[in-house]
Amino acid sequence: MSGWVDVGSLADLEAAGRLVARIDGRELGVVLDRETGGVHGIRNRCPHHGAPLCHGSVRRRSVGEPGRYALGERRVLRCPWHGWEFDLATGLCADDPAQRAAVYPAEIADGRVRVQI
Amino acid sequence: MIDCDVHPQIGDPEELLAYVEPAQRDWFRAQAAFGLPGYSWAHPDSWYRQDLEQGERLPASDAATVASELLDPSGAEIGVLNADDAVLVSLMPSPYRAAELARAHNDWLRERWLDADRRLRAGILCPAQDPVAAAAEIRRAAEDPRFVQVLLCGGAERPYGEPRYLPIFEAAAECGLPVAIHSGGEGMGLAAQPGGAGPVTFYIEWHTLGSACSIMAHLVSLIVHGVFERLPSLRVLLIEGGIAWLPGILWRLETNWRGLRSETPWLERRPGEVVREHVRFSTQPLEHTDGHDELLFEMLEAVGAPEILCFASDYPHWDFDDPAFMLRRLPEPWRAPVLHGNAAELYAARA
Repeated sequence: MSGWVDVGSLADLEAAGRLVARIDGRELGVVLDRETGGVHGIRNRCPHHGAPLCHGSVRRRSVGEPGRYALGERRVLRCPWHGWEFDLATGLCADDPAQRAAVYPAEIADGRVRVQI
Repeated sequence: MIDCDVHPQIGDPEELLAYVEPAQRDWFRAQAAFGLPGYSWAHPDSWYRQDLEQGERLPASDAATVASELLDPSGAEIGVLNADDAVLVSLMPSPYRAAELARAHNDWLRERWLDADRRLRAGILCPAQDPVAAAAEIRRAAEDPRFVQVLLCGGAERPYGEPRYLPIFEAAAECGLPVAIHSGGEGMGLAAQPGGAGPVTFYIEWHTLGSACSIMAHLVSLIVHGVFERLPSLRVLLIEGGIAWLPGILWRLETNWRGLRSETPWLERRPGEVVREHVRFSTQPLEHTDGHDELLFEMLEAVGAPEILCFASDYPHWDFDDPAFMLRRLPEPWRAPVLHGNAAELYAARA
């Protein structure tokens, strides 16, 4: 299967923050970035230990200098198991550049959420 | 060969007291061991190599003895003197007495030891319980380039990454001095208990745990507080805490570093990279393996050895490492950097 696939309703995405669908044997998710309103397709499997990645939290990556805390501009998905953070745009693990989660284009159209595979 | 850890003994208390300002001499004279905190866990026989003990005078209590017993036979180019019991000044309740004793000890080292043998260098003793005073003493003593490092002891009120200690590390970095943290003093005077599970019972426990655990704690603290981010030129030498634990501690730290980003978001570099660049370890005691040294060395290579190891004998203590024995034990490619090159680079700005 290739092309755009419907994974659920916008109402469900807004309620749960994520939608997960099994497509061709793989679990894909779409996560909602509530701060930007962006939707991001990402494989629901953390490359580290296989956690359901889309059940993590979307946040701005923390930055800072010693003793000072700030929120950076980089938007990440934080894995629900070990807390590794993945760049929402690229899927690259910000904490270990050797790790990457597959990402997919996602969009909202007519109240439905679609992901392109 | 460079020996990073040689302990000068105070043979005659009056010799050191002559360097204490007159208004404080009687106070120090009236205390046991200059008011330094006593060891709750003392060696059951002797702190010293018993082949060195002769009569009343303490071993290694003058430069000529250190030369004939250590530097001459080993062919060492440099031996770095690190205060022995006097390192416990940082654990004295009075920061004022501590500052004075540290100052006197540095002057005593300079005149009685450094002036006596051109191969000798020394660590600067300072009162860590008063970091501003400690920084002032570091800057004062550092005017003599034969002081090649700042000396702190493993026993401490808090781990050394705490911001209260920053003046010490800033002064060291400013003077081009590495900071040597030497195990010892854990559980004494102002210091936290050794081992992390409450007071221990025996010297064997203290020497097994206290010596290693405090060094691990200071290392992790310095890294997570971002001290090396604040002071990019700072180097730290960890003495007598061992090193075989380093791969395990780094694994724990790096795993937590990846998962706990929001707590210390200033740590951009992997802790293992920070260690390779900023931290060195003394060889004494290099863990024994019951005939499996090749496994130890393979494991240590994974965390940056041989580039992070520096030879230390710990003369004249009972757990001394003989330079000749160490030379035979190390893999051939490690010998030059461990016995000389790494320390030469560490002290390059001074020695």
